[in-house]
Amino acid sequence: MTMTPLRRRGAALAALLSAALVLSACGGSGDDPNPAGPMRTVKAGNGSVDVPADPQRVVTIGNTTLPFIDMGGAPVGVTEVTASELALIPEKQKATFKAATNVGSSGDQVDMEKLAGLKPDVILAQLPDSEFAQIEKQLKSIAPTLFWGLDTEWKTLAGGLAEAANVTAGLSAQKAEFDKKITKIKETYRKVIDETSFVNVDRWESSDPGTFSIADFGCVEIAQDDIGMNFPKAADGQDPLGWKFLPFEQIAGLSKYDVITYPVDAEGKPKQAFAPVVETNTWKALPAVNSGRALGLFCAGNNSYGPVLQYLDSLDRALATLPAKK
Amino acid sequence: MRLPGPRRRRLACLVVALVVLLALLMASMMIGSTAIAPSVVWDALFHPTADIDHFAIRDYRMPRTIVGLVVGMALGVAGALIQALTRNPLADPGILGVQAGASFAVTVAVGVLGVRDISGYLWFALAGALIVTLMVLTLGSTRRGSSPVVMVLAGVCVGAVLGGVREVLQATNPDAFDAMRSWNAGSIVGRSLDLVWPILPFFAVALVLAFAVSGPLNAMALGDDLAVTQGVRVTRTRVLAIIALTLFVGGATAIAGPIGFVGLMVPHVARWIAGQHQRWIFAYSLLLAPILLLASDILGRIVMRPSEIPVGIVTAFVGAPVLIAMVLRKKASGL
Repeated sequence: MTMTPLRRRGAALAALLSAALVLSACGGSGDDPNPAGPMRTVKAGNGSVDVPADPQRVVTIGNTTLPFIDMGGAPVGVTEVTASELALIPEKQKATFKAATNVGSSGDQVDMEKLAGLKPDVILAQLPDSEFAQIEKQLKSIAPTLFWGLDTEWKTLAGGLAEAANVTAGLSAQKAEFDKKITKIKETYRKVIDETSFVNVDRWESSDPGTFSIADFGCVEIAQDDIGMNFPKAADGQDPLGWKFLPFEQIAGLSKYDVITYPVDAEGKPKQAFAPVVETNTWKALPAVNSGRALGLFCAGNNSYGPVLQYLDSLDRALATLPAKK
Repeated sequence: MRLPGPRRRRLACLVVALVVLLALLMASMMIGSTAIAPSVVWDALFHPTADIDHFAIRDYRMPRTIVGLVVGMALGVAGALIQALTRNPLADPGILGVQAGASFAVTVAVGVLGVRDISGYLWFALAGALIVTLMVLTLGSTRRGSSPVVMVLAGVCVGAVLGGVREVLQATNPDAFDAMRSWNAGSIVGRSLDLVWPILPFFAVALVLAFAVSGPLNAMALGDDLAVTQGVRVTRTRVLAIIALTLFVGGATAIAGPIGFVGLMVPHVARWIAGQHQRWIFAYSLLLAPILLLASDILGRIVMRPSEIPVGIVTAFVGAPVLIAMVLRKKASGL
C-alpha cells in the first residue's frame, strides 16, 4: 500500500505520540520512586499481586476511592465521584478527595498519561469487569494493579483495599466499632427483630415517574445479613427486587408489612427522590405510616465501614422510637 | 326517518366502538397490579373514603386512564390527518419530524438545562414540535406551493438529523438519559392530570381544525388539481391540517413521550370500517386509538407483574402483528 506524504507525516506523528505515551507509561513502573523497597503479595479479584510493603502513592479508580479515603488513605489520583456521594462524606475526607489528581471521569475514561505521570506505587480499581478488561494491560504497565468486580462483598473490598494500601490500622478500628454496634442493636431489639416483618422502600433519581422500588440492596443488606432483620429479598439467582420499578398504585401492597423503612437525608427528611412517595395519599393511608411504624433511615453508602456505621446509628435511633405492635 | 344503509352501519359501528371504549375505561380502573372489584371502583369515584384502594383508583388509575384516553385520541386523529395529507398509507405522526422535534427539545431541556420532571419539559416538547413543523413546512415548500412528498422528505431528514444529535447528547450525559428513559419509551405511568389540563385547549383547537379540513381533504384525495376545481384552497387546507397535527402530536408527545404505531394503525382500521370519508375516519380514530392505547396499557400492567412494560413498547408489540394480519386479510386500505 502506498502512502501520500500527508498520510506518511500523520503516521510518523502517531508513532511518535504512541512511543511517548508508552515510554511515559513505562516510567511509572520502571522509574518507581521506591523500586527496590520490600514487597508483599496481596489477593484481589484479579488474583495475587505483588505490591510495595508500604505504598505511598496510591491511585484509586471507580468505587475504591471513597472506601480508601474512609479508612484514612490519601490517594494521589482518583476518578470522579458524584456530587451527591461527595456531599455525604465528612469535610476532612472531602478535602482529601479534592487534594488528589483527577485522572478521569470514570473507570472507562481514565487518562493513562496523567495516571502514569503520578508515578503510583499501586492502583486500586473497582469497576465493571468489561471496563477493566479494556484497560487492564495499560494499568498494569504503569503500576501493580488490584481489581475487584462489582459483585465483591463490601467487607471483602474494604479488607482487600486496606491490606493492599497498608491502611489496616484504620480498618481495624472501624471493624471493632461495627461489631460493637451490631451486637448492641441485636441485644437491645432482639424481640422486635424476631417478631417483625420489615420492608425497605426506595426511589432513585433515575426511577421512572410514578414508580418506587422495594429495595433489597444497599444498607438494608446490613440489616438483613448482619443483624438478621426480616426484609423481603430476591430469591437466589434472581435479579434484586430493587431493580423493579413498581407503579405507585402498588404502595397499597405495603400494608402487609409491620414496619416500613424508607430513605432520609442527614437532616431526617425523606430523600429528595423519595419525597413524591411520602406525598401520596396511599402512603399516608398505610397502617404502618398511620401508626408511626414507618422509619426513615439515613444511608450514606454501604461500600465501607464509615457510612455503614452512620447507617447503624440511624437504625438504632429509629428502632428506639418504634411503637409496640398492636 | 330511516338513515341510509352505509350511514346507519357507520353509526352502529361507532356506537359499538364507544361501548368498547367505555368498557376499557372501566377495565383500566379495575385491572392492574392488583384487581379491584367494580363496586370498589364505583365507590372510589362516587363515594370516596380514605380506603387505600380508593386512593389507588383516584390518585393513579383514574389519571392514568384519562391520560391514555386523551393521548390516544390525539394520536389517532393525528395519524388520520397525516395519512390524508400525504396520501401515504405508511405515514404516521412521526413522519413530519414532529415527534423528533419534541424529543430533541426534551433532550436539550433535560441534558443541557437540567430539567428533570415531565411538567418541566412539557412545554419544551410542544415548542420543539412546533418549531420543527415550521422548519419542515418551509423546507417542504416549492415554488409551486407545498408538496406532500417534499414535506415528508424534509420531515424524515430533519427527524433523522435531530435523532442523531439527540443520541449524541444522551450518550454524553447518561444521567439525563436515565431521567428521561421512561418518557423516551412512551409511557403513561405517573402522569398526573396536571399535565393534561394545560394541553387540552390545544387539543380542542386541533380537533376543530381537523374536522374543519375534513371536507377539503376528501376533495384533495382525488388530487390537488381536481380539488382546486372544486374550490378547495389546497395550501390553506394543508397548513391548517399541519397545525392541527402538530398540536395533537406535540401535546401527546409532551405528556407521554413518543408512542409509535397508534397513529399508523388506527386510521387504517377506521378506513376499513368507515370508507374514505375523512370526517368518519376522524370520528372512528378518535375512539379506536384510545381503545388500542388503553388495551395495550392494561396488557403492559399485567404481563410482567409486579413491574410494567411501557405502553409505547406494548403498542408496537401488539400493533405490528395486528396490522400485518389485517393488511394480509383485507389488503391495505387505499388512500
